[in-house]
Amino acid sequence: MKYERALIAVAIVVFILVLSYAVTLGAMGSTLPPRDLRLLAKLYLWLAINPWTRNLTVMSPEAVTSIVWDFRGLDTFFETAVLYLAIIGTVAIYRGVYASSKSREVPISEDEVGMSPIAKSVTKITLPIVIAVAVAIALHGHLTPGGGFQGGSTAAVILLLVLVVFSLQYSIRMGITKGSTLALRSAGLLGIAVTSILVLILGLLVGCQSFIFQNQPKAYAPVGVPAFLDGMLVSGTLILFNIFECLAVAAGLTLTFILVLTHEEEIRSVMKGDRHE
Amino acid sequence: MIRLVGYEVVDWVLVIIGEVLVAIGVFCDLMGALGMLRFPNFFVRLHAATVGTIGGAVVPILGAALIAAGCDFLGYYRWFMSGAAVVTAVLILIIAPAGSHVLARATHRSKTVPVEPKVVDMLEEESRGGE
Repeated sequence: MKYERALIAVAIVVFILVLSYAVTLGAMGSTLPPRDLRLLAKLYLWLAINPWTRNLTVMSPEAVTSIVWDFRGLDTFFETAVLYLAIIGTVAIYRGVYASSKSREVPISEDEVGMSPIAKSVTKITLPIVIAVAVAIALHGHLTPGGGFQGGSTAAVILLLVLVVFSLQYSIRMGITKGSTLALRSAGLLGIAVTSILVLILGLLVGCQSFIFQNQPKAYAPVGVPAFLDGMLVSGTLILFNIFECLAVAAGLTLTFILVLTHEEEIRSVMKGDRHE
Repeated sequence: MIRLVGYEVVDWVLVIIGEVLVAIGVFCDLMGALGMLRFPNFFVRLHAATVGTIGGAVVPILGAALIAAGCDFLGYYRWFMSGAAVVTAVLILIIAPAGSHVLARATHRSKTVPVEPKVVDMLEEESRGGE
Protein backbone atom coordinates (compact mmCIF):
# COMPACT_ATOMS: atom_id res chain seq x y z
CA MET A 1 0.00 0.00 0.00
CA LYS A 2 2.78 2.38 0.98
CA TYR A 3 4.83 1.41 -2.06
CA GLU A 4 1.81 1.94 -4.27
CA ARG A 5 1.40 5.53 -3.05
CA ALA A 6 5.09 6.25 -3.54
CA LEU A 7 4.89 4.75 -7.02
CA ILE A 8 1.92 6.98 -7.92
CA ALA A 9 3.72 10.09 -6.64
CA VAL A 10 6.90 9.22 -8.56
CA ALA A 11 4.88 8.52 -11.70
CA ILE A 12 3.12 11.91 -11.52
CA VAL A 13 6.40 13.74 -10.96
CA VAL A 14 8.12 11.91 -13.84
CA PHE A 15 5.14 12.59 -16.13
CA ILE A 16 5.14 16.33 -15.38
CA LEU A 17 8.92 16.57 -15.76
CA VAL A 18 8.92 14.72 -19.08
CA LEU A 19 5.99 16.77 -20.35
CA SER A 20 7.56 20.10 -19.38
CA TYR A 21 10.92 19.02 -20.84
CA ALA A 22 9.20 18.03 -24.09
CA VAL A 23 7.35 21.36 -24.22
CA THR A 24 10.59 23.25 -23.60
CA LEU A 25 12.26 21.37 -26.43
CA GLY A 26 9.39 22.27 -28.74
CA ALA A 27 7.55 18.96 -29.00
CA MET A 28 4.18 20.75 -28.99
CA GLY A 29 5.24 23.04 -31.84
CA SER A 30 7.17 26.24 -31.70
CA THR A 31 6.87 28.22 -28.48
CA LEU A 32 6.25 31.42 -30.41
CA PRO A 33 3.10 31.62 -32.51
CA PRO A 34 3.61 32.38 -36.19
CA ARG A 35 3.81 36.01 -37.27
CA ASP A 36 0.38 36.12 -38.91
CA LEU A 37 -1.23 34.96 -35.63
CA ARG A 38 0.59 37.70 -33.74
CA LEU A 39 -0.92 40.17 -36.20
CA LEU A 40 -4.36 38.78 -35.29
CA ALA A 41 -3.78 39.57 -31.60
CA LYS A 42 -2.78 43.09 -32.56
CA LEU A 43 -5.99 43.50 -34.57
CA TYR A 44 -8.13 42.27 -31.67
CA LEU A 45 -6.63 44.88 -29.35
CA TRP A 46 -6.86 47.54 -32.05
CA LEU A 47 -10.52 46.88 -32.83
CA ALA A 48 -12.02 46.08 -29.41
CA ILE A 49 -12.99 49.72 -28.88
CA ASN A 50 -12.20 52.05 -31.76
CA PRO A 51 -14.77 54.76 -32.54
CA TRP A 52 -12.79 55.80 -35.66
CA THR A 53 -13.30 52.49 -37.47
CA ARG A 54 -16.99 51.99 -36.74
CA ASN A 55 -17.26 49.32 -39.45
CA LEU A 56 -15.01 46.86 -37.61
CA THR A 57 -15.08 47.70 -33.91
CA VAL A 58 -17.09 46.01 -31.12
CA MET A 59 -17.24 49.18 -28.96
CA SER A 60 -16.27 47.32 -25.78
CA PRO A 61 -13.12 48.18 -23.78
CA GLU A 62 -12.98 44.56 -22.54
CA ALA A 63 -10.99 42.72 -25.22
CA VAL A 64 -11.85 39.29 -23.82
CA THR A 65 -15.61 39.86 -23.84
CA SER A 66 -15.45 41.39 -27.32
CA ILE A 67 -13.59 38.32 -28.59
CA VAL A 68 -15.83 35.86 -26.73
CA TRP A 69 -19.22 37.31 -27.68
CA ASP A 70 -18.48 39.11 -30.94
CA PHE A 71 -15.35 38.13 -32.89
CA ARG A 72 -15.94 34.41 -32.19
CA GLY A 73 -19.53 34.57 -30.98
CA LEU A 74 -20.62 31.41 -32.80
CA ASP A 75 -17.86 29.44 -31.07
CA THR A 76 -19.05 30.67 -27.67
CA PHE A 77 -22.61 29.77 -28.58
CA PHE A 78 -21.62 26.15 -29.09
CA GLU A 79 -19.51 26.15 -25.91
CA THR A 80 -22.61 27.32 -24.02
CA ALA A 81 -24.59 24.61 -25.81
CA VAL A 82 -22.16 21.95 -24.49
CA LEU A 83 -22.74 23.07 -20.89
CA TYR A 84 -26.50 23.09 -21.36
CA LEU A 85 -26.41 19.68 -23.02
CA ALA A 86 -24.77 18.41 -19.82
CA ILE A 87 -27.53 20.02 -17.72
CA ILE A 88 -30.20 18.65 -20.08
CA GLY A 89 -28.60 15.23 -19.65
CA THR A 90 -28.89 15.53 -15.87
CA VAL A 91 -32.54 16.55 -16.17
CA ALA A 92 -33.19 13.62 -18.50
CA ILE A 93 -31.60 11.13 -16.10
CA TYR A 94 -33.69 12.51 -13.22
CA ARG A 95 -36.92 12.67 -15.25
CA GLY A 96 -40.03 12.13 -13.14
CA VAL A 97 -38.21 13.19 -9.97
CA TYR A 98 -39.89 16.31 -8.70
CA ALA A 99 -37.70 16.75 -5.60
CA SER A 100 -39.97 15.87 -2.63
CA SER A 101 -43.20 17.03 -4.19
CA LYS A 102 -45.24 15.45 -1.39
CA SER A 103 -43.67 17.80 1.15
CA ARG A 104 -45.15 20.71 -0.77
CA GLU A 105 -48.59 20.14 0.76
CA VAL A 106 -47.40 19.69 4.35
CA PRO A 107 -46.58 23.13 5.75
CA ILE A 108 -43.17 23.22 7.45
CA SER A 109 -41.80 26.10 9.46
CA GLU A 110 -38.33 27.46 8.95
CA ASP A 111 -37.08 26.27 12.35
CA GLU A 112 -37.90 22.59 11.85
CA VAL A 113 -35.55 21.89 8.94
CA GLY A 114 -32.11 22.94 7.85
CA MET A 115 -29.08 24.02 9.81
CA SER A 116 -28.76 26.11 12.97
CA PRO A 117 -30.25 29.64 13.28
CA ILE A 118 -26.75 31.15 13.15
CA ALA A 119 -26.06 29.64 9.73
CA LYS A 120 -29.51 30.74 8.51
CA SER A 121 -29.10 34.33 9.69
CA VAL A 122 -25.68 34.64 8.04
CA THR A 123 -27.05 33.19 4.79
CA LYS A 124 -29.92 35.69 4.90
CA ILE A 125 -27.46 38.56 5.33
CA THR A 126 -25.10 37.43 2.58
CA LEU A 127 -27.81 36.45 0.05
CA PRO A 128 -28.62 40.01 -1.16
CA ILE A 129 -24.94 41.04 -1.07
CA VAL A 130 -23.77 38.13 -3.22
CA ILE A 131 -26.71 38.52 -5.62
CA ALA A 132 -25.80 42.22 -6.00
CA VAL A 133 -22.17 41.32 -6.73
CA ALA A 134 -23.27 38.68 -9.26
CA VAL A 135 -25.54 41.14 -11.08
CA ALA A 136 -22.76 43.75 -11.07
CA ILE A 137 -20.27 41.25 -12.56
CA ALA A 138 -22.75 40.36 -15.30
CA LEU A 139 -23.80 43.94 -16.12
CA HIS A 140 -20.17 45.16 -16.18
CA GLY A 141 -19.12 42.24 -18.38
CA HIS A 142 -18.42 44.51 -21.35
CA LEU A 143 -16.38 46.96 -19.23
CA THR A 144 -14.37 44.93 -16.71
CA PRO A 145 -13.15 41.33 -16.42
CA GLY A 146 -16.05 38.98 -15.73
CA GLY A 147 -19.29 38.55 -17.61
CA GLY A 148 -22.44 36.51 -17.76
CA PHE A 149 -20.91 33.14 -16.95
CA GLN A 150 -18.91 34.46 -13.99
CA GLY A 151 -21.87 36.42 -12.61
CA GLY A 152 -24.17 33.42 -12.99
CA SER A 153 -21.69 31.14 -11.21
CA THR A 154 -21.44 33.64 -8.34
CA ALA A 155 -25.22 33.71 -7.97
CA ALA A 156 -25.35 29.90 -8.17
CA VAL A 157 -22.90 29.61 -5.24
CA ILE A 158 -25.19 31.53 -2.87
CA LEU A 159 -28.24 29.66 -4.17
CA LEU A 160 -26.43 26.36 -3.42
CA LEU A 161 -25.78 27.71 0.08
CA VAL A 162 -29.49 28.52 0.49
CA LEU A 163 -30.40 25.00 -0.67
CA VAL A 164 -28.03 23.39 1.84
CA VAL A 165 -28.57 25.71 4.83
CA PHE A 166 -32.36 26.05 4.62
CA SER A 167 -32.77 22.42 3.43
CA LEU A 168 -34.15 21.36 0.07
CA GLN A 169 -37.73 20.96 1.37
CA TYR A 170 -37.95 24.53 2.63
CA SER A 171 -36.31 25.94 -0.53
CA ILE A 172 -38.88 24.11 -2.63
CA ARG A 173 -41.67 25.61 -0.55
CA MET A 174 -40.12 29.04 -1.06
CA GLY A 175 -40.23 28.58 -4.84
CA ILE A 176 -36.74 27.35 -5.77
CA THR A 177 -38.13 24.30 -7.55
CA LYS A 178 -37.09 22.20 -10.51
CA GLY A 179 -39.85 23.77 -12.60
CA SER A 180 -39.01 27.40 -11.80
CA THR A 181 -35.27 27.00 -12.34
CA LEU A 182 -35.91 25.08 -15.55
CA ALA A 183 -38.18 27.89 -16.77
CA LEU A 184 -35.62 30.60 -15.89
CA ARG A 185 -32.83 28.65 -17.58
CA SER A 186 -34.94 28.19 -20.71
CA ALA A 187 -35.76 31.92 -20.70
CA GLY A 188 -32.04 32.71 -20.54
CA LEU A 189 -31.20 30.33 -23.38
CA LEU A 190 -34.06 31.73 -25.47
CA GLY A 191 -32.70 35.22 -24.82
CA ILE A 192 -29.23 34.17 -26.03
CA ALA A 193 -30.71 32.59 -29.16
CA VAL A 194 -32.84 35.66 -29.95
CA THR A 195 -29.92 38.04 -29.32
CA SER A 196 -27.72 36.06 -31.69
CA ILE A 197 -30.17 36.64 -34.56
CA LEU A 198 -31.41 40.07 -33.41
CA VAL A 199 -29.48 42.05 -36.03
CA LEU A 200 -30.38 39.48 -38.69
CA ILE A 201 -34.09 40.09 -37.96
CA LEU A 202 -33.50 43.86 -37.99
CA GLY A 203 -31.73 43.55 -41.34
CA LEU A 204 -34.57 41.50 -42.79
CA LEU A 205 -37.11 44.10 -41.57
CA VAL A 206 -35.14 47.03 -42.97
CA GLY A 207 -34.28 45.11 -46.11
CA CYS A 208 -30.49 45.15 -46.10
CA GLN A 209 -27.77 42.56 -45.66
CA SER A 210 -26.95 41.40 -42.11
CA PHE A 211 -25.32 38.46 -40.31
CA ILE A 212 -25.92 36.21 -37.34
CA PHE A 213 -23.94 37.31 -34.26
CA GLN A 214 -23.62 40.79 -35.78
CA ASN A 215 -23.23 43.55 -33.22
CA GLN A 216 -22.19 46.90 -34.68
CA PRO A 217 -22.95 48.04 -38.26
CA LYS A 218 -20.55 46.56 -40.79
CA ALA A 219 -19.48 47.82 -44.21
CA TYR A 220 -22.12 46.02 -46.30
CA ALA A 221 -24.58 45.47 -43.43
CA PRO A 222 -25.44 48.93 -42.09
CA VAL A 223 -27.69 47.79 -39.21
CA GLY A 224 -26.70 47.11 -35.62
CA VAL A 225 -27.55 47.39 -31.95
CA PRO A 226 -26.75 50.84 -30.49
CA ALA A 227 -23.45 50.93 -28.58
CA PHE A 228 -24.62 53.75 -26.30
CA LEU A 229 -27.83 53.84 -24.29
CA ASP A 230 -28.59 57.29 -22.88
CA GLY A 231 -24.88 58.14 -22.93
CA MET A 232 -23.87 54.87 -21.25
CA LEU A 233 -21.61 52.44 -23.07
CA VAL A 234 -23.57 49.17 -23.40
CA SER A 235 -21.65 47.70 -26.38
CA GLY A 236 -24.75 46.60 -28.31
CA THR A 237 -25.45 42.90 -28.04
CA LEU A 238 -22.71 42.21 -25.46
CA ILE A 239 -24.77 43.44 -22.49
CA LEU A 240 -27.78 41.42 -23.67
CA PHE A 241 -25.65 38.27 -24.02
CA ASN A 242 -24.19 38.82 -20.55
CA ILE A 243 -27.61 39.33 -18.89
CA PHE A 244 -29.14 36.23 -20.49
CA GLU A 245 -26.03 34.10 -19.90
CA CYS A 246 -26.05 35.12 -16.22
CA LEU A 247 -29.70 34.11 -15.89
CA ALA A 248 -29.19 30.81 -17.70
CA VAL A 249 -26.04 29.82 -15.81
CA ALA A 250 -27.43 30.70 -12.37
CA ALA A 251 -30.71 28.86 -13.00
CA GLY A 252 -29.02 25.91 -14.75
CA LEU A 253 -26.45 25.28 -12.02
CA THR A 254 -29.12 25.65 -9.30
CA LEU A 255 -31.26 23.12 -11.17
CA THR A 256 -28.36 20.65 -11.12
CA PHE A 257 -27.83 21.26 -7.39
CA ILE A 258 -31.54 20.64 -6.67
CA LEU A 259 -31.43 17.35 -8.56
CA VAL A 260 -28.19 16.24 -6.91
CA LEU A 261 -29.54 17.09 -3.43
CA THR A 262 -32.71 15.03 -3.94
CA HIS A 263 -33.12 12.05 -1.60
CA GLU A 264 -31.90 8.77 -3.02
CA GLU A 265 -35.04 6.88 -1.90
CA GLU A 266 -37.23 9.20 -3.89
CA ILE A 267 -35.14 8.75 -7.05
CA ARG A 268 -35.18 4.98 -6.54
CA SER A 269 -38.96 4.92 -6.12
CA VAL A 270 -39.36 6.89 -9.36
CA MET A 271 -36.95 4.59 -11.21
CA LYS A 272 -38.71 1.45 -9.93
CA GLY A 273 -41.98 2.88 -11.15
CA ASP A 274 -43.70 3.05 -7.75
CA ARG A 275 -44.82 6.59 -8.29
CA HIS A 276 -46.19 8.29 -11.37
CA GLU A 277 -46.87 11.98 -11.74
CA MET B 1 11.71 67.26 7.03
CA ILE B 2 8.04 66.55 7.46
CA ARG B 3 5.82 69.51 8.11
CA LEU B 4 3.33 68.41 10.75
CA VAL B 5 0.30 70.38 9.64
CA GLY B 6 -3.20 69.27 10.75
CA TYR B 7 -4.27 66.67 8.21
CA GLU B 8 -0.75 65.28 7.82
CA VAL B 9 -0.74 64.33 11.50
CA VAL B 10 -4.06 62.53 11.00
CA ASP B 11 -2.62 60.69 7.96
CA TRP B 12 0.43 59.60 9.92
CA VAL B 13 -1.69 58.38 12.83
CA LEU B 14 -3.91 56.41 10.42
CA VAL B 15 -0.91 54.77 8.73
CA ILE B 16 0.76 53.88 12.04
CA ILE B 17 -2.44 52.39 13.53
CA GLY B 18 -2.93 50.46 10.27
CA GLU B 19 0.60 49.07 10.39
CA VAL B 20 0.14 48.02 14.01
CA LEU B 21 -3.04 46.16 12.98
CA VAL B 22 -1.16 44.43 10.12
CA ALA B 23 1.55 43.40 12.58
CA ILE B 24 -1.10 41.94 14.92
CA GLY B 25 -2.46 40.08 11.89
CA VAL B 26 0.96 38.62 11.09
CA PHE B 27 1.29 37.40 14.69
CA CYS B 28 -2.21 35.85 14.64
CA ASP B 29 -1.52 34.14 11.29
CA LEU B 30 1.71 32.69 12.64
CA MET B 31 -0.02 31.44 15.80
CA GLY B 32 -2.90 30.02 13.72
CA ALA B 33 -0.49 28.18 11.41
CA LEU B 34 1.46 26.78 14.38
CA GLY B 35 -1.80 25.66 16.00
CA MET B 36 -3.01 23.99 12.80
CA LEU B 37 0.21 21.97 12.72
CA ARG B 38 0.68 21.24 16.40
CA PHE B 39 -2.80 20.93 17.97
CA PRO B 40 -3.97 17.34 18.59
CA ASN B 41 -7.55 17.11 17.26
CA PHE B 42 -10.26 18.69 15.15
CA PHE B 43 -11.89 21.06 17.64
CA VAL B 44 -8.72 22.71 18.88
CA ARG B 45 -7.37 22.90 15.33
CA LEU B 46 -10.62 24.63 14.35
CA HIS B 47 -9.92 27.11 17.12
CA ALA B 48 -6.49 27.77 15.60
CA ALA B 49 -8.08 28.22 12.16
CA THR B 50 -10.49 30.86 13.50
CA VAL B 51 -7.57 32.71 15.07
CA GLY B 52 -6.17 32.78 11.54
CA THR B 53 -9.38 34.04 9.92
CA ILE B 54 -10.41 36.74 12.39
CA GLY B 55 -7.10 37.84 13.87
CA GLY B 56 -5.14 37.06 10.75
CA ALA B 57 -7.53 38.29 8.04
CA VAL B 58 -10.12 40.77 9.39
CA VAL B 59 -7.67 42.76 11.53
CA PRO B 60 -4.95 43.23 8.85
CA ILE B 61 -7.58 44.08 6.19
CA LEU B 62 -8.92 46.80 8.50
CA GLY B 63 -5.29 47.88 8.91
CA ALA B 64 -4.87 48.01 5.14
CA ALA B 65 -8.03 50.16 4.96
CA LEU B 66 -6.52 52.61 7.47
CA ILE B 67 -3.16 52.66 5.62
CA ALA B 68 -4.94 53.35 2.30
CA ALA B 69 -7.00 56.11 3.93
CA GLY B 70 -3.81 57.70 5.28
CA CYS B 71 -1.86 57.57 2.00
CA ASP B 72 -2.38 61.03 0.52
CA PHE B 73 -0.35 60.27 -2.64
CA LEU B 74 -2.98 57.74 -3.76
CA GLY B 75 -5.33 60.68 -4.33
CA TYR B 76 -9.04 60.24 -4.75
CA TYR B 77 -8.80 56.47 -5.27
CA ARG B 78 -7.67 55.77 -1.72
CA TRP B 79 -11.29 56.00 -0.55
CA PHE B 80 -12.27 53.27 -3.01
CA MET B 81 -9.48 51.01 -1.70
CA SER B 82 -10.29 51.83 1.90
CA GLY B 83 -14.03 51.29 1.47
CA ALA B 84 -13.58 47.99 -0.38
CA ALA B 85 -11.23 46.79 2.36
CA VAL B 86 -13.71 47.68 5.12
CA VAL B 87 -16.55 45.91 3.28
CA THR B 88 -14.37 42.81 2.79
CA ALA B 89 -13.37 42.81 6.47
CA VAL B 90 -16.99 43.10 7.65
CA LEU B 91 -18.05 40.29 5.27
CA ILE B 92 -15.32 37.98 6.56
CA LEU B 93 -16.26 38.95 10.12
CA ILE B 94 -19.83 37.80 9.44
CA ILE B 95 -19.18 34.74 7.26
CA ALA B 96 -16.10 33.06 8.77
CA PRO B 97 -17.57 32.44 12.27
CA ALA B 98 -20.71 31.00 10.69
CA GLY B 99 -18.58 28.59 8.67
CA SER B 100 -16.58 27.39 11.67
CA HIS B 101 -19.79 27.18 13.72
CA VAL B 102 -21.40 24.94 11.10
CA LEU B 103 -18.29 22.74 10.93
CA ALA B 104 -18.05 22.39 14.71
CA ARG B 105 -21.79 21.74 15.12
CA ALA B 106 -21.86 19.08 12.40
CA THR B 107 -18.79 17.37 13.84
CA HIS B 108 -20.23 17.42 17.37
CA ARG B 109 -23.60 16.09 16.27
CA SER B 110 -22.20 13.31 14.12
CA LYS B 111 -19.85 12.33 17.00
CA THR B 112 -17.02 11.86 14.51
CA VAL B 113 -14.40 13.35 16.80
CA PRO B 114 -14.25 12.92 20.60
CA VAL B 115 -14.30 16.25 22.44
CA GLU B 116 -10.90 15.62 23.93
CA PRO B 117 -9.53 18.38 26.19
CA LYS B 118 -12.91 18.95 27.80
CA VAL B 119 -13.92 20.69 31.01
CA VAL B 120 -17.66 20.78 30.45
CA ASP B 121 -19.81 19.91 27.38
CA MET B 122 -23.24 21.48 27.92
CA LEU B 123 -24.36 20.57 24.40
CA GLU B 124 -23.74 16.88 24.95
CA GLU B 125 -25.41 16.93 28.39
CA GLU B 126 -28.42 18.69 26.92
CA SER B 127 -28.81 16.22 24.04
CA ARG B 128 -28.39 13.28 26.43
CA GLY B 129 -30.94 14.72 28.85
CA GLY B 130 -33.38 15.32 26.03
CA GLU B 131 -33.45 11.70 24.92
